[in-house]
Amino acid sequence: MSDLDRQIEQLKRCEPLKESEVKALCLKAMEILVEESNVQRVDAPVTICGDIHGQFYDMKELFRVGGDCPKTNYLFLGDFVDRGFYSVETFLLLLALKVRYPDRITLIRGNHESRQITQVYGFYDECLRKYGSVNVWRYCTDIFDYLSLSALIENKIFCVHGGLSPLINTLDQIRTIDRKQEVPHDGAMCDLMWSDPEEIVDGWGLSPRGAGFLFGGTVVTTFNHANNIDYICRAHQLVMEGYKWMFNSQIVTVWSAPNYCYRCGNVASILELDENLNKQFRVFEAAPQESRGAPAKKAPPDYFL
Amino acid sequence: MEFEVDEKELKAAGAELLPDGRRGLRLHGWEIESLKRPILNSRQLQEWEQKLQSSHFPEMVFGDSSLVLKHMNNGTKIHFNAFDALTGWKQEALPPVEVPAAAIWKYKSESFQQVILDYDYTFTTPYCGSETEEINAELGREATSEKGNSSLCWEECKEEIDLASLALKEPILFYDEVILYEDELGDNGISLLTVKVRVMPSSWFVLLRFWLRVDGVLMRLRDTRMHCVFGKSTNPVILRESCWREATIQALAAKGYPSDSAAYNDPSIISQRLPIIMRKTHKLKLPGTP
Repeated sequence: MSDLDRQIEQLKRCEPLKESEVKALCLKAMEILVEESNVQRVDAPVTICGDIHGQFYDMKELFRVGGDCPKTNYLFLGDFVDRGFYSVETFLLLLALKVRYPDRITLIRGNHESRQITQVYGFYDECLRKYGSVNVWRYCTDIFDYLSLSALIENKIFCVHGGLSPLINTLDQIRTIDRKQEVPHDGAMCDLMWSDPEEIVDGWGLSPRGAGFLFGGTVVTTFNHANNIDYICRAHQLVMEGYKWMFNSQIVTVWSAPNYCYRCGNVASILELDENLNKQFRVFEAAPQESRGAPAKKAPPDYFL
Repeated sequence: MEFEVDEKELKAAGAELLPDGRRGLRLHGWEIESLKRPILNSRQLQEWEQKLQSSHFPEMVFGDSSLVLKHMNNGTKIHFNAFDALTGWKQEALPPVEVPAAAIWKYKSESFQQVILDYDYTFTTPYCGSETEEINAELGREATSEKGNSSLCWEECKEEIDLASLALKEPILFYDEVILYEDELGDNGISLLTVKVRVMPSSWFVLLRFWLRVDGVLMRLRDTRMHCVFGKSTNPVILRESCWREATIQALAAKGYPSDSAAYNDPSIISQRLPIIMRKTHKLKLPGTP
């Protein structure tokens, strides 16, 4: 058994790798990712997955439902880390699978694959807690800069973490972005990872936060027509039912973190496409408590004031 | 994590747990129950859109969750739920708070035709709980009295909640925390409304907390505490104290406190650093047994 296969087995048991192993794995991953396009071509059949957010045991449930990699081909739409308890193990397992089976699994970047966001929402603290230093966080966030921005399945389905950008009309415009950098605060690369579809606008909308685009049905129709694609598949927003179509089936949100943050009670889904691009959503629930390793502790009484 | 209570302590206090797997207990004429349910699904959210006349909601609305404290003799019910809290948000309708990136966005996105949304995405609410009277308590019918018709009236008062007695390590017979709604502000911070309850042999105590952190901009904390001491009287009195605190990150940094968001994850630790902007105390005398 090769070192890599052994590491994959170890990660599947939710045991993190040594710091030196993470460093070596990231170097190998970098060589593969640097060759990928900003609009990475993906062949069908393939199974599309949305946000995971460090919910390792729920991702194992996802693989149980969808089949193991490399038997099943996978496309993950980003947000592997933050919020859940096991961002380290989750991202490293996906990265190890990428290095082992580069043509069988595609990882694109979500807005949480960023130095700034991971320092606020959990991944940074988790690395520090599990390794006693921030080196592993550095190796991983350096790899984030190499992740592709989007994918195109059989030239017909455009996949991205967040959504569209008013600066992008064609896929070729995405191909010209220099992606090897921290996610910027504005511009096309930022929009692809941050923007959301919104029913109450038709064209472009600006979030009440003063930053972040919202896009309506007309924007999607124009984009899909200009690029000759059937629909857009994206993640980024929690949907209670696991997936949600909008604008007459021109865009779908896929969400793959069941019982999000271990308290929402939502189901998750993955979208299976066969070789003819026929769609099937596989809806699944959170992994049962007993499969999560450590039992839930009894809480001490809370004398809050 | 579940809270586990000592059977002997329950018995000594004269309390009984609610049957059929319900979470809560009965004690001194009160029935105290928490309900924790999943977030609303798309169909329920559509109904709420109609009822609240709003197309915007927090991304996680625990609309079927609640905390209910019911006085069984006179039918008075103190309860906490997301719907009433969001009704308060809609009425208060604060102007939106701009995130730091908004400055560059304003300048760069001038060239696009766009609709600017202007609702209060922080879901800030003045909510401090709900109270209803069940007119026919014996039949257990949910006959909520009309507004204005109710004999329930919170009066301003000088008394304060006795925090010293609450700091005593009296056994806790029931504890729970219920999230009413939560929003991640599109990864720009957190907006969270939760209610905690603890019941001791001598009193019950509730903390309803609205907690907002807009990364790099501000923090807002709106706490409502309620305390009811069990006594011999059949007309219990509930004390309610609302305290609103707020500070910009800029103001905190000027005082020498850290300005990165990671330092502000736990509101109970940093609340003392936030200046008080409003504080008031009320009491509610429950009507006598009919």
